[in-house]
Amino acid sequence: MAPLLKVENLRIELTTRKGVAPVIDDLSFELGAGESISFVGESGCGKSMTALGIMGLLPEKIGRIASGSITFNGEELTTASDKRMRDLRGNEISMIFQEPMTSLNPVYTVGEQIAEVLRAHQGLGRKAAWEQATELLDAVRIPNARGRVGDYPFQMSGGQRQRVMIAIALACKPRILIADEPTTALDVTVQAQIFDLLNDLRRQTGTAIIMITHDMGAVAEMAERMIVMYAGRNAEQGPVEQIIDHPRHPYTRGLISCVPHLMKVLTEERHTLTEVPGIVPSLSEFGRDQCLFASRCPQVTQQCLDKRPPEMAFADDQRSACWHAEDI
Amino acid sequence: MRDSTVDSPLVEVLNLSVRFPVKRGGAFGRTSYLYAVDDVSFDIRRGETLAIVGESGSGKTTTALAVARLVAACDGEVKVAGQDFLKLDDQALRKARARLQFIFQDPYSSLNPRLRAEKIVREPLDSMETVPAADRQGIVDKLFKAVGLHPEQQRLFPHQFSGGQRQRIGIARALATQPELVICDEAVSALDVAVQAQILNLLKALQAEFDLTYLFISHDLGVVQHMCDTIAVMYMGRIVEYADRLSLFNSPKHPYTVALLSAVPSVDKERRAETRRILIPGDPPDPVNLPPGCRFANRCPVAQDICRQTDPALRSLPSGHRVACHLVSEDGTPPLTP
Amino acid sequence: MTDAPILPEREIEKARHPLAEAWEMFRRNHAAVAALIVLALIVLAAIFGPWIYPTDPFEMVWAPFSPPGADGFLLGTDYLGRDLMAALIHGARVSIVIGVAAALMSVLIGVTIGALAGFYRGWVEELLMRVTEFFQVLPTLLFSMVIVALFGASLPMITFAIGIVSWTAVARITRSEFLRIRQLEYVMASRASGTGNRKLMFSVILPNALPPIIVQAALMVGSAILFEAGLSFLGLTDPNVVSWGQVIGSNRQYILDASFTVTIPGVAIFVTVLAISLVGDGLNDALNPKLRQR
Repeated sequence: MAPLLKVENLRIELTTRKGVAPVIDDLSFELGAGESISFVGESGCGKSMTALGIMGLLPEKIGRIASGSITFNGEELTTASDKRMRDLRGNEISMIFQEPMTSLNPVYTVGEQIAEVLRAHQGLGRKAAWEQATELLDAVRIPNARGRVGDYPFQMSGGQRQRVMIAIALACKPRILIADEPTTALDVTVQAQIFDLLNDLRRQTGTAIIMITHDMGAVAEMAERMIVMYAGRNAEQGPVEQIIDHPRHPYTRGLISCVPHLMKVLTEERHTLTEVPGIVPSLSEFGRDQCLFASRCPQVTQQCLDKRPPEMAFADDQRSACWHAEDI
Repeated sequence: MRDSTVDSPLVEVLNLSVRFPVKRGGAFGRTSYLYAVDDVSFDIRRGETLAIVGESGSGKTTTALAVARLVAACDGEVKVAGQDFLKLDDQALRKARARLQFIFQDPYSSLNPRLRAEKIVREPLDSMETVPAADRQGIVDKLFKAVGLHPEQQRLFPHQFSGGQRQRIGIARALATQPELVICDEAVSALDVAVQAQILNLLKALQAEFDLTYLFISHDLGVVQHMCDTIAVMYMGRIVEYADRLSLFNSPKHPYTVALLSAVPSVDKERRAETRRILIPGDPPDPVNLPPGCRFANRCPVAQDICRQTDPALRSLPSGHRVACHLVSEDGTPPLTP
Repeated sequence: MTDAPILPEREIEKARHPLAEAWEMFRRNHAAVAALIVLALIVLAAIFGPWIYPTDPFEMVWAPFSPPGADGFLLGTDYLGRDLMAALIHGARVSIVIGVAAALMSVLIGVTIGALAGFYRGWVEELLMRVTEFFQVLPTLLFSMVIVALFGASLPMITFAIGIVSWTAVARITRSEFLRIRQLEYVMASRASGTGNRKLMFSVILPNALPPIIVQAALMVGSAILFEAGLSFLGLTDPNVVSWGQVIGSNRQYILDASFTVTIPGVAIFVTVLAISLVGDGLNDALNPKLRQR
């Protein structure tokens, strides 16, 4: 069966004052219908840029897809017309963002904002759209949906606003939902509710989810497969459990072990956290023919500095772009 | 100068309350009060770390600010080495501030963009005048080294540093006056995970090197678990549970703590398999019109009638664990387990 | 002692002063740079003009209404046969001095009131903002006319009259900047390290609040020049000093017969005020940190 979304050798270039830099450099992955995949990495590694590329929302005049292809349901998106992309967005592929405070329009009620999407994409009448907006609010577990549908965003808490965003994103039953750090601004108990909601919705509607996050715990909780991004490149990808148990890229290992996780039983002993020294290189260094993680890597060799490592395949489609992947 | 009795805690906070006036109903509305911190007590032993955890609106940051007298408390005492910080007059307060310093959350807004890094670190020394002017540059040099920055970087302006480096400058500034207590208010939450590890390790190393006592405010339970010795869990201005690290994380008593811990996603396969996630529905009550009973009652999965009628007090269990819940039994059996 | 790494995260950049960076941004705005050059020429003319072109603007030197260029008078003569070129050059002094002085005065009043209101809050803020609102709702031209009419049309009094009606915008900007900055963490940090109120206000918060105030002050120089022109057009000016507005005012009856006598000083005002606005715009780009980031 052909995958729902297939990204092949994608290269996205960003024009900055210092020249053209590849923010996404030779990225390939596949997403099956109803699957859940996560992008992980530090800020500035190109996670959000990938999402914007798929949505056709790259910053105008600055960003462009230089080469590679994105196929959705067999249809090429990199060459699709603006009109076609507008049809797809919000209808077949939708997106929710990090900041639930600013992504809703404060002057319209939440009901109007959900109904607006339904009328634009599905041609529903005013009354039918309102009716369905109420049902959607109920589906994202806003208590007393019928009473709350006329509320303005400021009358809702952060968690409720994020639910409204999810309701808007799911209004047209999209095939793919892209969630860009959907819970970063929320409290952990609210995050648990949102994760629970997203998992249930995926099971019920078969919507595939792409979640962008920096939290390995969230990945373990939410995703089946993950892609670790570093400096615009794929560092490692594969099944979540397998990568957490046995990472094949030093960056992945660093990301997992630099965070103090809650374990089942806490003991008296406390390790010093593993540090990944330094920071992500700046855009002007992207695109060099070497391993871009080399400057922060504890296992760096001359080979890493001389040539960009190819992706090496392991069991269960785990792939790692590291010269020393086999030894890790 | 330092307190000679070793056993007495460095910091004692007693019945601290902070309230904010809230005007409702336009210009002629009644003024009511929001108790952001309500009757909070805790103490910290020298060289140890107390963490206050809680979600937004729990009052944890306000508590920290009130301890440092950066917001005014309406009631209570904050004793640092026996001296009541809240009763000092302006003159004495400026001197006393040397013993208690703050590390802020946002590495971007916590440094004055118009000052060079060296000046930022020097500022506390210049305003407190505890050290002769001639010695100050030497202290700045030492601090830069201690927090892992190049001496050449002293001449740079804040915007020329990365987030992690800025946080190092903030730490150097906090240590300039040789404080005993350092309050870290979400000191790593704005940083990327890899940089966060660098700063956490630095804070630990500095604690050992300079014999620091930390009051650590955070919403990240993983970080708290790694950093602290004792934890106070706050909910809506109150401490609902207070215990040492192992006891709190391995056998939480209060239903809110249980739910909070169960909500934290983890990479540990066993923890995920064996922890039942307890979802607490709904929102906290209106902080201005609090219900008569327990503040968590409306979201608590095991709430009884008594919880909605009587406000539970913080009581000690035989194990030394303190909890504010009617339903935890005398021997410390919690009403809810994950 | 610590195992924190010495981070070569970025090469040690040369420590550039924020002002150098601001100049860099300003230079990119070509209109502003051109305006700055024009403005510099006008200011130079105002300062040195009377030596280079010593003709007395009050002296009747030739037949009235000589058109520009005729008989060696570059800009012609007015209804009394006075040299317009001389009026223009000598008038520049007055217009610019009044513009700058009035702007300075309103910045002084506005910053003081705005800073106190924004820093102390509470009843201080209530009181000062009510005062500000009082001045805001006064009909400005009328109020300054009353002042000048009552206390005499000397240059200092005209400056005062303009300054006293135009500080409210600065006060509001200063207050809102103070409200924003006072709760930033570096101000807290400064307080936590024992800095006193006066130092907090003037050495910590004020320098960071300055950019929008500077922009506003620059624009205010322009509006003060217009204001002065308006007053002198109405005859409310020192009769012994020549200014651009006064030239327009005194020639206004002959606008149909000799339009150049009114147009030439009008263009001078227009060019000066436009140049100031463009420079203000450039300053806004240069000092606004939101635009500076990347």
